[in-house]
Amino acid sequence: MDENPGLSEEYRRASPWPLFVALGLPIAELGILFGLVPLAVGGLLLFFGSIAGILRENSYVSSTWRGLAALSLVVVALGLAIWYWDGTTQSDLLVRAYSVLGTGVLMLLAGVGGELFAQDAEPTL
Amino acid sequence: METTGQLLLTVLMGAFLLGVAAFLARVEDWRSYTPLGAGGGAVGESGYGHAEKPAGLIRWFTTVDHKDIGLLYGLYATIAFVVGGLMVMLMRAELTTPATDVLGSATFYNSLLTSHGITMLFLFGTPIIAAFANYLVPLIIGADDMAFPRINAIAFWLLPPAALLIWAGFFPIPEVIPAQTAWTMYTPLSAGVGNGNQMNVGVDLMLLGLHLSGVSATMGAINFIATIFTERAEEVTWANLDIFSWTILTQSGLILFAFPLLGSALVMLLLDRNFATTFFAVEGGGPILWQHLFWFFGHPEVYILVLPPMGIVSYVLPRFSGRKLFGFKFVVYSTLAIGVLSFGVWAHHMFATGIDPRLRASFMAVSLAIAIPSAVKTFNWITTMWNGKLRLTAPMLFCIGFVSNFIIGGVTGVFLASIPVDLVLHDTYYVVGHFHYIVMGAITFAGMAGIYYWFPLVTGRWYQRTLAKAHFWLWMIGTNVTFFAMVLLGYGGMPRRYATFLPQFATLHQIATLGAFMLLVGGVIWVYNIYVSWIEGPHVQSGDPWRLDETSLNTAEWDWFDAKRETSLAATDGGEEVKADGGEVVDGAPADDAADDE
Repeated sequence: MDENPGLSEEYRRASPWPLFVALGLPIAELGILFGLVPLAVGGLLLFFGSIAGILRENSYVSSTWRGLAALSLVVVALGLAIWYWDGTTQSDLLVRAYSVLGTGVLMLLAGVGGELFAQDAEPTL
Repeated sequence: METTGQLLLTVLMGAFLLGVAAFLARVEDWRSYTPLGAGGGAVGESGYGHAEKPAGLIRWFTTVDHKDIGLLYGLYATIAFVVGGLMVMLMRAELTTPATDVLGSATFYNSLLTSHGITMLFLFGTPIIAAFANYLVPLIIGADDMAFPRINAIAFWLLPPAALLIWAGFFPIPEVIPAQTAWTMYTPLSAGVGNGNQMNVGVDLMLLGLHLSGVSATMGAINFIATIFTERAEEVTWANLDIFSWTILTQSGLILFAFPLLGSALVMLLLDRNFATTFFAVEGGGPILWQHLFWFFGHPEVYILVLPPMGIVSYVLPRFSGRKLFGFKFVVYSTLAIGVLSFGVWAHHMFATGIDPRLRASFMAVSLAIAIPSAVKTFNWITTMWNGKLRLTAPMLFCIGFVSNFIIGGVTGVFLASIPVDLVLHDTYYVVGHFHYIVMGAITFAGMAGIYYWFPLVTGRWYQRTLAKAHFWLWMIGTNVTFFAMVLLGYGGMPRRYATFLPQFATLHQIATLGAFMLLVGGVIWVYNIYVSWIEGPHVQSGDPWRLDETSLNTAEWDWFDAKRETSLAATDGGEEVKADGGEVVDGAPADDAADDE
């Protein structure tokens, strides 16, 4: 296709985040399902990090770091849920619960730390 | 060993995340000198001109433009169609002899069978419809873009990982084998129970891939519903909304109710397989529960796949009949009726499972009832053509082929809806013939009609007309040879899903394989034609390449095309594209006659 203006080509139409939301989800699913810690942590970081990026891009949040910190609560809740389920089944879910909880804590730290110390990295509007 | 693996995985994951960060830094850097805004920045004033997208490959990885995403869906669906098609060619080659002489292994045949079905339904069928809908619906209803452009991009990018997971068993990964559960994934086989090999991780990967494709379809559906409800131009009302958008809206509604259910059922199956839950175990919910859940999704899925192609036919067929669609309102009503009824027929897939006969009877009644709106559509297509001024262009031929094949596929289906007939024909090739008349003869044909019809709109060029017609006739004959042979095989009692068969079925199987090779040749011609014409086909010479204005049947997307063309010509000072010899319309012949050489 070309770059000529038509009915619907008056504003910029690109975002780097969707691709990584879509890559993060399957990686996180694989990691959690099979108990592969690196995949679970990396996939969750990629998935929720990219969502935070989109929230920032849409101006739904004022900085990516705040978005990340808010989303970390979802991850922590998921981790707690898996931790609870570990007690209700015979399967060993502890590794999975810890990796999800750990990711949530990482995200929270990154969010709070970034908000406090990395202001300049955020392009100003 | 275990630790080494985890370490390796950690390093790989870390390197990957670093790569992502580097890429993002680069793209974000590019972003920082264009006005950001929430999608509404006034880029035109930034000196960035019309380059509202980055160049090269990055553009395709970062695009949120509905047209680009439509093209990505189209490319993806084409690749999946080729993969699924080659898989089935291996199967048909195997079925030329009663024993497993060609593939040498029934296990491999079962894997191909499973993967062919899932590939064609989830990786080709749904995405090719999304390709049309993404590209066209916003243009037709006068929307700037989809309601949620980024969700649109996410929905697409979930599909490539889904395909890799679904095909993972075929890749040379140690100890991973392909699923052999058939696309219906019936428990207990798919739960890995027993001494078979279906506890293998390949099945888990396939289920995860399927789950992802469901997430993708659901996100797409939400987007289409929001777009059609809220983003229509002022002049587009519910009363004059076009038939294609109606079918997409209905389809999206079906997806919204059906796919989350598939997703949940798949998660339950994964839990049964990996965490010893008992959703589908005999001591728990029971294997039949899977069939209920699966078909509560699975039967609406049939209409998810067929309604938009019906919309394409209802949209394209009148353009080449020189008349408006006959009984427009009733075509819309029948679409809605099919959408509602489709949720009340699922147990007709389970007539042979021994469910309560009173339940069976009610499902039979609803299944037969669905023939009524289907017939309304069919008669409306025929009456649209009746006494019309038909132009037998390639898209029109595929539309007529659609109607013809749909009638055979539909009528064979009515017989199957009847319990006593079903009990005889259940799990025979009759069923396979019946639904392939629909999925290949109807759905794929409508897809091809759409591809040829909108090819000039998307590329600004003409395809090769002779090749397109060769494609059509090879497919029309090939489809009927292949799948009517299957109907006859079913009458003979040939059970489906087997790699081997009794010698008495050999002739019909060989005929079916012959037809399949005609389909293969037609498919090769199609891919060649589309590719070569996209690169070097003659340029379209007017904003109304199908000369729809002559019959007052022009539609909004061609107005958009015309406007875009005018701007483009003005911008290049009427540059090289207006060569007088490039492809003038031949008098009195269909516009696609213009496909003579430059």
